[in-house]
Amino acid sequence: MSASPPESAALATEQLLVQRLRDRDEAAMTIFYDKYSAALYGVILRIVQKEETAEDVLQEAMVKIWHSFPSYDAGKGRLYTWVLNICRNLAIDKIRSRQYRVGSRTQPIEESAALRQAAEPTFRPEHIGLQEMTRQLSPDQRQIVDLLYFGGFTQSEVAEELNLPLGTVKTRARAAIKVLSKLIR
Amino acid sequence: MDIQHYIESGILEEYALGLLSEAERADVERMAGLHPQVRQELDEALRGVEAYAQAHAVTPPAGMRERVLSGWQQAIRPETPALAMTASATPQPAPSAAAGEAVVRQMPPPAEVQPSRSRWLMAASVALLMLSGLGNVLLYNRLQESEANLLAARNEQARFAATQQAVERRLDARTQELNVLRSEQFRAVQLKGTPKAPQALARVYYNPGTRAVYVDVRRLPAPPAGKQYQLWALDNGKPVDAGVLTAATAVGDSIQQMKDIASAQAFAMTVEDEGGSAAPTLSTMTVIGNL
Repeated sequence: MSASPPESAALATEQLLVQRLRDRDEAAMTIFYDKYSAALYGVILRIVQKEETAEDVLQEAMVKIWHSFPSYDAGKGRLYTWVLNICRNLAIDKIRSRQYRVGSRTQPIEESAALRQAAEPTFRPEHIGLQEMTRQLSPDQRQIVDLLYFGGFTQSEVAEELNLPLGTVKTRARAAIKVLSKLIR
Repeated sequence: MDIQHYIESGILEEYALGLLSEAERADVERMAGLHPQVRQELDEALRGVEAYAQAHAVTPPAGMRERVLSGWQQAIRPETPALAMTASATPQPAPSAAAGEAVVRQMPPPAEVQPSRSRWLMAASVALLMLSGLGNVLLYNRLQESEANLLAARNEQARFAATQQAVERRLDARTQELNVLRSEQFRAVQLKGTPKAPQALARVYYNPGTRAVYVDVRRLPAPPAGKQYQLWALDNGKPVDAGVLTAATAVGDSIQQMKDIASAQAFAMTVEDEGGSAAPTLSTMTVIGNL
Protein backbone atom coordinates (compact mmCIF):
# COMPACT_ATOMS: atom_id res chain seq x y z
CA MET A 1 0.00 0.00 0.00
CA SER A 2 3.02 2.30 -0.07
CA ALA A 3 2.65 3.46 -3.63
CA SER A 4 -0.17 5.94 -3.71
CA PRO A 5 -2.08 6.41 -6.93
CA PRO A 6 -2.10 9.80 -8.62
CA GLU A 7 -4.66 12.33 -7.39
CA SER A 8 -7.05 11.88 -10.29
CA ALA A 9 -7.07 8.11 -9.94
CA ALA A 10 -7.67 8.50 -6.22
CA LEU A 11 -10.55 10.81 -6.96
CA ALA A 12 -11.95 8.35 -9.48
CA THR A 13 -11.88 5.50 -7.01
CA GLU A 14 -13.49 7.71 -4.40
CA GLN A 15 -16.27 8.63 -6.80
CA LEU A 16 -16.75 4.99 -7.66
CA LEU A 17 -16.93 4.08 -3.99
CA VAL A 18 -19.44 6.85 -3.31
CA GLN A 19 -21.56 5.62 -6.19
CA ARG A 20 -21.53 2.06 -4.94
CA LEU A 21 -22.44 3.16 -1.42
CA ARG A 22 -25.23 5.28 -2.80
CA ASP A 23 -26.47 2.15 -4.58
CA ARG A 24 -26.53 0.33 -1.20
CA ASP A 25 -23.82 -2.05 -2.33
CA GLU A 26 -22.81 -3.79 0.87
CA ALA A 27 -19.55 -5.09 -0.53
CA ALA A 28 -18.49 -1.47 -0.97
CA MET A 29 -18.40 -1.13 2.81
CA THR A 30 -15.55 -3.64 2.93
CA ILE A 31 -13.62 -1.50 0.48
CA PHE A 32 -14.50 1.54 2.54
CA TYR A 33 -13.14 -0.16 5.65
CA ASP A 34 -9.88 -1.13 4.00
CA LYS A 35 -9.40 2.35 2.71
CA TYR A 36 -10.37 4.45 5.69
CA SER A 37 -10.20 2.31 8.82
CA ALA A 38 -6.64 3.26 9.81
CA ALA A 39 -7.31 6.99 9.49
CA LEU A 40 -10.64 6.82 11.30
CA TYR A 41 -9.54 4.36 13.97
CA GLY A 42 -6.49 6.51 14.71
CA VAL A 43 -8.60 9.58 15.38
CA ILE A 44 -11.20 7.68 17.40
CA LEU A 45 -8.52 5.99 19.47
CA ARG A 46 -6.85 9.29 20.12
CA ILE A 47 -10.15 10.65 21.42
CA VAL A 48 -11.43 7.72 23.48
CA GLN A 49 -8.00 6.36 24.48
CA LYS A 50 -9.24 2.79 24.90
CA GLU A 51 -8.95 0.19 22.20
CA GLU A 52 -12.20 -1.65 22.92
CA THR A 53 -14.12 1.61 23.02
CA ALA A 54 -12.47 2.75 19.81
CA GLU A 55 -13.54 -0.47 18.12
CA ASP A 56 -17.12 -0.01 19.30
CA VAL A 57 -17.18 3.56 18.09
CA LEU A 58 -15.76 2.62 14.70
CA GLN A 59 -18.44 -0.03 14.27
CA GLU A 60 -21.13 2.42 15.34
CA ALA A 61 -19.74 4.89 12.83
CA MET A 62 -19.85 2.31 10.05
CA VAL A 63 -23.53 1.74 10.77
CA LYS A 64 -24.22 5.45 10.89
CA ILE A 65 -22.30 6.09 7.68
CA TRP A 66 -24.26 3.37 5.94
CA HIS A 67 -27.63 4.61 7.15
CA SER A 68 -27.06 8.29 6.58
CA PHE A 69 -25.18 7.90 3.32
CA PRO A 70 -28.09 9.25 1.26
CA SER A 71 -27.54 12.59 2.99
CA TYR A 72 -23.90 12.78 1.91
CA ASP A 73 -23.43 15.45 -0.73
CA ALA A 74 -20.21 14.98 -2.69
CA GLY A 75 -20.58 18.52 -4.01
CA LYS A 76 -20.09 19.95 -0.53
CA GLY A 77 -16.94 18.11 0.39
CA ARG A 78 -14.86 15.01 0.19
CA LEU A 79 -16.02 11.70 1.59
CA TYR A 80 -13.17 11.74 4.12
CA THR A 81 -14.33 15.07 5.52
CA TRP A 82 -17.80 13.73 6.00
CA VAL A 83 -16.92 10.38 7.57
CA LEU A 84 -14.24 11.88 9.76
CA ASN A 85 -16.79 14.28 11.16
CA ILE A 86 -19.19 11.42 11.91
CA CYS A 87 -16.50 9.40 13.66
CA ARG A 88 -15.21 12.33 15.66
CA ASN A 89 -18.71 13.28 16.81
CA LEU A 90 -19.49 9.73 17.92
CA ALA A 91 -16.18 9.45 19.75
CA ILE A 92 -16.71 12.76 21.52
CA ASP A 93 -20.27 11.80 22.46
CA LYS A 94 -18.78 8.68 23.96
CA ILE A 95 -16.28 10.49 26.16
CA ARG A 96 -18.82 13.07 27.18
CA SER A 97 -21.46 10.51 28.09
CA ARG A 98 -19.19 8.27 30.04
CA GLN A 99 -17.50 10.79 32.25
CA TYR A 100 -14.31 9.87 30.54
CA ARG A 101 -12.55 12.96 31.56
CA VAL A 102 -11.18 12.71 35.03
CA GLY A 103 -8.27 14.35 36.68
CA SER A 104 -6.25 16.95 34.95
CA ARG A 105 -7.83 17.43 31.56
CA THR A 106 -5.39 19.99 30.32
CA GLN A 107 -2.42 17.65 30.19
CA PRO A 108 -1.55 17.28 26.55
CA ILE A 109 -2.48 13.75 25.68
CA GLU A 110 0.62 11.62 25.63
CA GLU A 111 1.70 10.44 22.23
CA SER A 112 0.15 7.02 22.31
CA ALA A 113 0.54 4.17 19.91
CA ALA A 114 -0.28 6.63 17.15
CA LEU A 115 3.32 7.67 16.71
CA ARG A 116 4.82 4.25 17.00
CA GLN A 117 2.55 2.50 14.56
CA ALA A 118 1.56 5.25 12.19
CA ALA A 119 -0.32 3.65 9.35
CA GLU A 120 0.32 4.19 5.70
CA PRO A 121 -2.19 6.53 4.16
CA THR A 122 -4.39 4.83 1.62
CA PHE A 123 -6.09 7.79 0.05
CA ARG A 124 -4.00 10.86 0.74
CA PRO A 125 -1.08 11.45 -1.57
CA GLU A 126 0.08 14.48 0.41
CA HIS A 127 0.84 12.56 3.55
CA ILE A 128 3.10 14.18 6.09
CA GLY A 129 4.24 12.51 9.26
CA LEU A 130 3.05 13.58 12.65
CA GLN A 131 6.61 14.25 13.75
CA GLU A 132 7.07 16.86 11.08
CA MET A 133 3.73 18.51 11.78
CA THR A 134 4.34 18.80 15.46
CA ARG A 135 7.74 20.27 14.75
CA GLN A 136 6.07 23.03 12.78
CA LEU A 137 3.44 23.80 15.41
CA SER A 138 4.35 25.69 18.53
CA PRO A 139 3.64 23.74 21.73
CA ASP A 140 0.86 26.23 22.55
CA GLN A 141 -0.77 25.81 19.17
CA ARG A 142 -0.53 22.08 19.32
CA GLN A 143 -1.98 21.92 22.81
CA ILE A 144 -5.00 23.93 21.72
CA VAL A 145 -5.58 21.94 18.55
CA ASP A 146 -5.33 18.69 20.49
CA LEU A 147 -7.78 19.85 23.14
CA LEU A 148 -10.24 21.11 20.56
CA TYR A 149 -9.97 18.31 18.05
CA PHE A 150 -9.16 15.23 20.11
CA GLY A 151 -10.30 16.35 23.54
CA GLY A 152 -13.79 17.35 22.55
CA PHE A 153 -13.49 20.69 24.29
CA THR A 154 -15.19 23.85 23.14
CA GLN A 155 -13.11 26.97 22.77
CA SER A 156 -14.60 28.49 25.92
CA GLU A 157 -13.81 25.33 27.87
CA VAL A 158 -10.23 25.47 26.66
CA ALA A 159 -10.03 29.14 27.63
CA GLU A 160 -11.31 28.28 31.08
CA GLU A 161 -9.02 25.30 31.49
CA LEU A 162 -5.88 27.07 30.38
CA ASN A 163 -6.88 30.32 32.01
CA LEU A 164 -6.57 32.22 28.75
CA PRO A 165 -8.78 34.86 27.18
CA LEU A 166 -11.17 33.32 24.67
CA GLY A 167 -9.68 35.57 21.97
CA THR A 168 -6.24 34.10 22.54
CA VAL A 169 -7.58 30.57 22.19
CA LYS A 170 -9.29 31.46 18.91
CA THR A 171 -6.18 33.17 17.56
CA ARG A 172 -3.96 30.22 18.43
CA ALA A 173 -6.36 27.71 16.95
CA ARG A 174 -6.54 29.69 13.78
CA ALA A 175 -2.76 30.10 13.57
CA ALA A 176 -2.29 26.39 14.13
CA ILE A 177 -4.59 25.54 11.26
CA LYS A 178 -2.78 27.99 9.01
CA VAL A 179 0.48 26.22 9.80
CA LEU A 180 -1.05 22.84 9.04
CA SER A 181 -2.63 24.04 5.79
CA LYS A 182 0.68 25.47 4.57
CA LEU A 183 2.36 22.13 5.16
CA ILE A 184 -0.14 20.45 2.89
CA ARG A 185 0.01 22.92 0.05
CA MET B 1 -21.49 40.55 3.92
CA ASP B 2 -17.80 41.38 3.67
CA ILE B 3 -16.20 38.15 2.47
CA GLN B 4 -12.73 38.95 3.76
CA HIS B 5 -14.18 39.73 7.15
CA TYR B 6 -16.07 36.46 7.11
CA ILE B 7 -12.95 34.51 6.20
CA GLU B 8 -10.96 36.12 8.99
CA SER B 9 -13.66 35.63 11.60
CA GLY B 10 -12.27 32.19 12.40
CA ILE B 11 -15.49 30.38 11.61
CA LEU B 12 -13.89 28.37 8.82
CA GLU B 13 -11.26 27.04 11.21
CA GLU B 14 -13.98 26.23 13.74
CA TYR B 15 -15.75 24.32 10.99
CA ALA B 16 -12.56 22.42 10.19
CA LEU B 17 -12.01 21.61 13.87
CA GLY B 18 -15.56 20.30 14.15
CA LEU B 19 -16.64 22.88 16.69
CA LEU B 20 -19.84 24.00 14.97
CA SER B 21 -23.41 22.83 15.34
CA GLU B 22 -25.22 21.28 12.39
CA ALA B 23 -27.01 24.58 11.66
CA GLU B 24 -23.76 26.57 11.76
CA ARG B 25 -22.09 24.01 9.51
CA ALA B 26 -24.88 24.29 6.97
CA ASP B 27 -24.47 28.03 7.05
CA VAL B 28 -20.74 27.82 6.33
CA GLU B 29 -21.41 25.34 3.52
CA ARG B 30 -23.93 27.73 2.07
CA MET B 31 -21.36 30.56 2.13
CA ALA B 32 -18.76 28.31 0.55
CA GLY B 33 -21.24 27.48 -2.17
CA LEU B 34 -21.81 31.15 -2.86
CA HIS B 35 -18.24 32.45 -2.71
CA PRO B 36 -15.35 30.61 -4.37
CA GLN B 37 -12.91 32.42 -2.10
CA VAL B 38 -14.66 31.09 1.00
CA ARG B 39 -14.73 27.64 -0.56
CA GLN B 40 -11.00 27.78 -1.17
CA GLU B 41 -10.19 28.96 2.36
CA LEU B 42 -12.49 26.35 3.86
CA ASP B 43 -10.89 23.58 1.80
CA GLU B 44 -7.45 24.68 2.93
CA ALA B 45 -8.44 24.69 6.58
CA LEU B 46 -10.04 21.27 6.16
CA ARG B 47 -6.97 19.87 4.45
CA GLY B 48 -4.79 21.11 7.27
CA VAL B 49 -6.90 19.61 10.03
CA GLU B 50 -7.53 16.41 8.11
CA ALA B 51 -3.87 15.93 7.37
CA TYR B 52 -3.26 16.32 11.09
CA ALA B 53 -5.95 13.75 11.80
CA GLN B 54 -4.54 11.48 9.11
CA ALA B 55 -1.12 11.74 10.70
CA HIS B 56 -2.59 10.01 13.73
CA ALA B 57 -3.71 7.02 11.69
CA VAL B 58 -3.34 3.71 13.49
CA THR B 59 -3.72 0.38 11.77
CA PRO B 60 -6.50 -1.40 13.68
CA PRO B 61 -5.40 -4.55 15.51
CA ALA B 62 -5.64 -7.88 13.73
CA GLY B 63 -9.06 -9.48 13.93
CA MET B 64 -10.83 -6.16 14.20
CA ARG B 65 -11.70 -6.01 10.51
CA GLU B 66 -13.69 -9.22 10.76
CA ARG B 67 -15.45 -8.13 13.96
CA VAL B 68 -16.34 -4.65 12.81
CA LEU B 69 -17.53 -5.70 9.38
CA SER B 70 -19.66 -8.56 10.66
CA GLY B 71 -20.93 -6.36 13.50
CA TRP B 72 -21.84 -3.73 10.96
CA GLN B 73 -23.61 -6.29 8.84
CA GLN B 74 -25.62 -7.57 11.79
CA ALA B 75 -26.51 -4.03 12.73
CA ILE B 76 -27.92 -3.21 9.33
CA ARG B 77 -29.68 -6.58 8.94
CA PRO B 78 -32.73 -5.79 11.10
CA GLU B 79 -33.58 -3.26 8.43
CA THR B 80 -34.70 -5.98 6.09
CA PRO B 81 -37.03 -7.92 8.42
CA ALA B 82 -38.46 -4.64 9.67
CA LEU B 83 -39.29 -3.60 6.13
CA ALA B 84 -40.81 -6.99 5.42
CA MET B 85 -42.95 -6.67 8.51
CA THR B 86 -44.30 -3.25 7.67
CA ALA B 87 -44.97 -4.47 4.14
CA SER B 88 -46.93 -7.48 5.35
CA ALA B 89 -48.72 -5.36 7.91
CA THR B 90 -50.25 -3.07 5.31
CA PRO B 91 -52.87 -5.47 3.92
CA GLN B 92 -54.19 -6.19 7.43
CA PRO B 93 -57.80 -4.97 7.62
CA ALA B 94 -57.72 -3.39 11.08
CA PRO B 95 -55.66 -0.27 10.38
CA SER B 96 -57.13 0.36 6.94
CA ALA B 97 -60.68 -0.06 8.24
CA ALA B 98 -59.95 2.32 11.06
CA ALA B 99 -58.49 4.79 8.61
CA GLY B 100 -61.52 4.46 6.38
CA GLU B 101 -64.00 4.96 9.19
CA ALA B 102 -62.12 7.71 10.89
CA VAL B 103 -63.42 10.17 8.34
CA VAL B 104 -67.10 9.64 9.16
CA ARG B 105 -66.93 8.60 12.76
CA GLN B 106 -67.38 10.93 15.71
CA MET B 107 -64.47 11.45 18.06
CA PRO B 108 -64.29 8.09 19.77
CA PRO B 109 -62.50 7.55 23.07
CA PRO B 110 -58.79 7.39 22.48
CA ALA B 111 -58.67 3.68 23.21
CA GLU B 112 -60.75 3.02 20.13
CA VAL B 113 -58.95 5.48 17.91
CA GLN B 114 -56.05 3.12 17.78
CA PRO B 115 -57.37 -0.41 18.08
CA SER B 116 -54.03 -1.72 16.88
CA ARG B 117 -52.28 0.19 19.63
CA SER B 118 -54.49 -1.20 22.39
CA ARG B 119 -54.10 -4.63 20.89
CA TRP B 120 -50.39 -4.13 20.89
CA LEU B 121 -50.56 -3.00 24.50
CA MET B 122 -52.63 -6.05 25.36
CA ALA B 123 -50.21 -8.33 23.59
CA ALA B 124 -47.33 -6.61 25.26
CA SER B 125 -48.98 -6.95 28.68
CA VAL B 126 -49.61 -10.63 28.13
CA ALA B 127 -46.07 -11.12 26.93
CA LEU B 128 -44.75 -9.23 29.93
CA LEU B 129 -46.93 -11.24 32.29
CA MET B 130 -45.70 -14.48 30.77
CA LEU B 131 -42.16 -13.25 30.92
CA SER B 132 -42.66 -12.27 34.52
CA GLY B 133 -44.18 -15.68 35.28
CA LEU B 134 -41.24 -17.37 33.66
CA GLY B 135 -38.94 -15.17 35.66
CA ASN B 136 -40.78 -16.15 38.84
CA VAL B 137 -40.46 -19.84 38.06
CA LEU B 138 -36.77 -19.41 37.41
CA LEU B 139 -36.33 -17.37 40.56
CA TYR B 140 -38.32 -19.90 42.61
CA ASN B 141 -36.12 -22.72 41.33
CA ARG B 142 -33.08 -20.71 42.16
CA LEU B 143 -34.47 -20.02 45.62
CA GLN B 144 -35.09 -23.71 46.26
CA GLU B 145 -31.65 -24.54 45.06
CA SER B 146 -30.23 -21.88 47.33
CA GLU B 147 -32.18 -23.19 50.29
CA ALA B 148 -30.98 -26.73 49.65
CA ASN B 149 -27.47 -25.45 49.42
CA LEU B 150 -27.91 -23.48 52.60
CA LEU B 151 -29.19 -26.56 54.43
CA ALA B 152 -26.28 -28.61 53.20
CA ALA B 153 -23.92 -25.86 54.25
CA ARG B 154 -25.50 -25.70 57.69
CA ASN B 155 -25.23 -29.48 58.15
CA GLU B 156 -21.67 -29.34 57.06
CA GLN B 157 -21.08 -26.52 59.47
CA ALA B 158 -22.73 -28.41 62.36
CA ARG B 159 -20.66 -31.47 61.64
CA PHE B 160 -17.57 -29.37 61.52
CA ALA B 161 -18.48 -27.70 64.80
CA ALA B 162 -19.03 -31.10 66.47
CA THR B 163 -15.69 -32.32 65.19
CA GLN B 164 -14.15 -29.14 66.37
CA GLN B 165 -15.62 -29.59 69.84
CA ALA B 166 -14.36 -33.15 70.04
CA VAL B 167 -10.94 -31.96 69.01
CA GLU B 168 -11.11 -29.23 71.64
CA ARG B 169 -12.00 -31.78 74.30
CA ARG B 170 -9.18 -34.05 73.26
CA LEU B 171 -6.85 -31.12 73.27
CA ASP B 172 -7.99 -30.14 76.76
CA ALA B 173 -7.43 -33.68 77.97
CA ARG B 174 -3.99 -33.79 76.39
CA THR B 175 -3.12 -30.43 77.85
CA GLN B 176 -4.16 -31.66 81.26
CA GLU B 177 -2.15 -34.85 80.82
CA LEU B 178 0.83 -32.83 79.77
CA ASN B 179 0.42 -30.66 82.83
CA VAL B 180 0.36 -33.79 84.96
CA LEU B 181 3.47 -35.15 83.32
CA ARG B 182 5.28 -31.86 83.68
CA SER B 183 4.08 -31.08 87.18
CA GLU B 184 6.72 -31.42 89.86
CA GLN B 185 4.10 -32.25 92.48
CA PHE B 186 3.33 -35.56 90.77
CA ARG B 187 5.42 -38.54 91.60
CA ALA B 188 5.80 -41.19 88.98
CA VAL B 189 5.48 -44.79 90.10
CA GLN B 190 6.67 -47.52 87.78
CA LEU B 191 4.40 -50.57 87.89
CA LYS B 192 6.29 -53.58 86.60
CA GLY B 193 4.88 -56.86 85.41
CA THR B 194 4.43 -59.69 87.84
CA PRO B 195 5.52 -63.20 86.84
CA LYS B 196 1.98 -63.61 85.48
CA ALA B 197 2.71 -60.94 82.85
CA PRO B 198 6.44 -60.13 82.80
CA GLN B 199 6.12 -57.84 79.75
CA ALA B 200 3.41 -55.70 81.34
CA LEU B 201 4.32 -52.15 82.21
CA ALA B 202 2.39 -49.16 83.49
CA ARG B 203 2.97 -45.94 85.31
CA VAL B 204 1.01 -44.13 87.99
CA TYR B 205 1.36 -40.42 88.66
CA TYR B 206 0.41 -39.56 92.20
CA ASN B 207 0.11 -36.10 93.75
CA PRO B 208 0.02 -36.52 97.51
CA GLY B 209 -0.93 -32.87 97.95
CA THR B 210 -4.07 -32.94 95.80
CA ARG B 211 -4.54 -36.73 96.08
CA ALA B 212 -4.89 -36.91 92.32
CA VAL B 213 -3.98 -40.18 90.66
CA TYR B 214 -3.36 -40.71 86.94
CA VAL B 215 -2.50 -43.93 85.22
CA ASP B 216 -0.54 -44.33 82.02
CA VAL B 217 -0.42 -47.81 80.48
CA ARG B 218 2.58 -48.83 78.39
CA ARG B 219 1.81 -52.47 77.81
CA LEU B 220 -0.88 -54.66 79.32
CA PRO B 221 -2.20 -58.01 78.10
CA ALA B 222 -5.75 -57.64 76.80
CA PRO B 223 -8.20 -58.54 79.58
CA PRO B 224 -10.57 -61.50 79.00
CA ALA B 225 -14.08 -60.68 77.86
CA GLY B 226 -16.22 -59.21 80.62
CA LYS B 227 -13.15 -58.29 82.66
CA GLN B 228 -11.48 -54.95 83.39
CA TYR B 229 -8.24 -53.84 84.93
CA GLN B 230 -8.63 -52.21 88.32
CA LEU B 231 -6.09 -50.02 90.09
CA TRP B 232 -5.43 -50.39 93.77
CA ALA B 233 -3.51 -48.13 96.11
CA LEU B 234 -1.76 -49.97 98.90
CA ASP B 235 -1.86 -47.91 102.07
CA ASN B 236 -0.02 -49.60 104.90
CA GLY B 237 -0.59 -52.92 103.13
CA LYS B 238 -4.33 -52.31 102.74
CA PRO B 239 -5.68 -52.22 99.18
CA VAL B 240 -7.78 -49.13 98.42
CA ASP B 241 -9.89 -49.04 95.24
CA ALA B 242 -8.63 -46.42 92.80
CA GLY B 243 -11.15 -47.24 90.01
CA VAL B 244 -11.24 -49.33 86.84
CA LEU B 245 -9.34 -48.58 83.67
CA THR B 246 -11.32 -47.80 80.56
CA ALA B 247 -10.62 -49.87 77.48
CA ALA B 248 -8.83 -46.91 75.92
CA THR B 249 -6.56 -46.53 78.89
CA ALA B 250 -5.85 -50.26 79.01
CA VAL B 251 -4.53 -50.27 75.45
CA GLY B 252 -2.38 -47.20 76.19
CA ASP B 253 -4.39 -44.64 74.23
CA SER B 254 -4.46 -42.01 76.90
CA ILE B 255 -3.74 -41.15 80.48
CA GLN B 256 -6.73 -41.62 82.79
CA GLN B 257 -7.46 -39.85 86.03
CA MET B 258 -8.37 -42.36 88.75
CA LYS B 259 -10.07 -41.92 92.12
CA ASP B 260 -8.38 -39.64 94.62
CA ILE B 261 -6.13 -41.45 97.04
CA ALA B 262 -5.31 -39.94 100.44
CA SER B 263 -2.14 -41.84 100.97
CA ALA B 264 -0.30 -44.76 99.39
CA GLN B 265 3.08 -46.45 99.36
CA ALA B 266 2.44 -48.72 96.38
CA PHE B 267 0.05 -49.27 93.48
CA ALA B 268 -1.06 -52.46 91.77
CA MET B 269 -3.46 -53.62 89.08
CA THR B 270 -5.63 -56.72 89.02
CA VAL B 271 -8.10 -58.12 86.54
CA GLU B 272 -11.65 -57.88 87.91
CA ASP B 273 -15.18 -58.29 86.65
CA GLU B 274 -16.43 -55.35 84.67
CA GLY B 275 -17.29 -52.46 86.93
CA GLY B 276 -14.62 -53.45 89.46
CA SER B 277 -14.72 -55.21 92.77
CA ALA B 278 -14.58 -54.11 96.38
CA ALA B 279 -11.53 -56.23 97.05
CA PRO B 280 -8.71 -57.19 94.70
CA THR B 281 -8.41 -60.71 93.28
CA LEU B 282 -4.75 -61.09 94.14
CA SER B 283 -4.24 -64.09 91.84
CA THR B 284 -4.81 -61.81 88.87
CA MET B 285 -2.32 -59.11 89.89
CA THR B 286 -0.62 -58.00 86.68
CA VAL B 287 1.62 -55.07 87.66
CA ILE B 288 2.86 -53.58 90.93
CA GLY B 289 5.23 -50.78 91.97
CA ASN B 290 6.33 -48.84 95.06
CA LEU B 291 6.61 -45.11 95.51
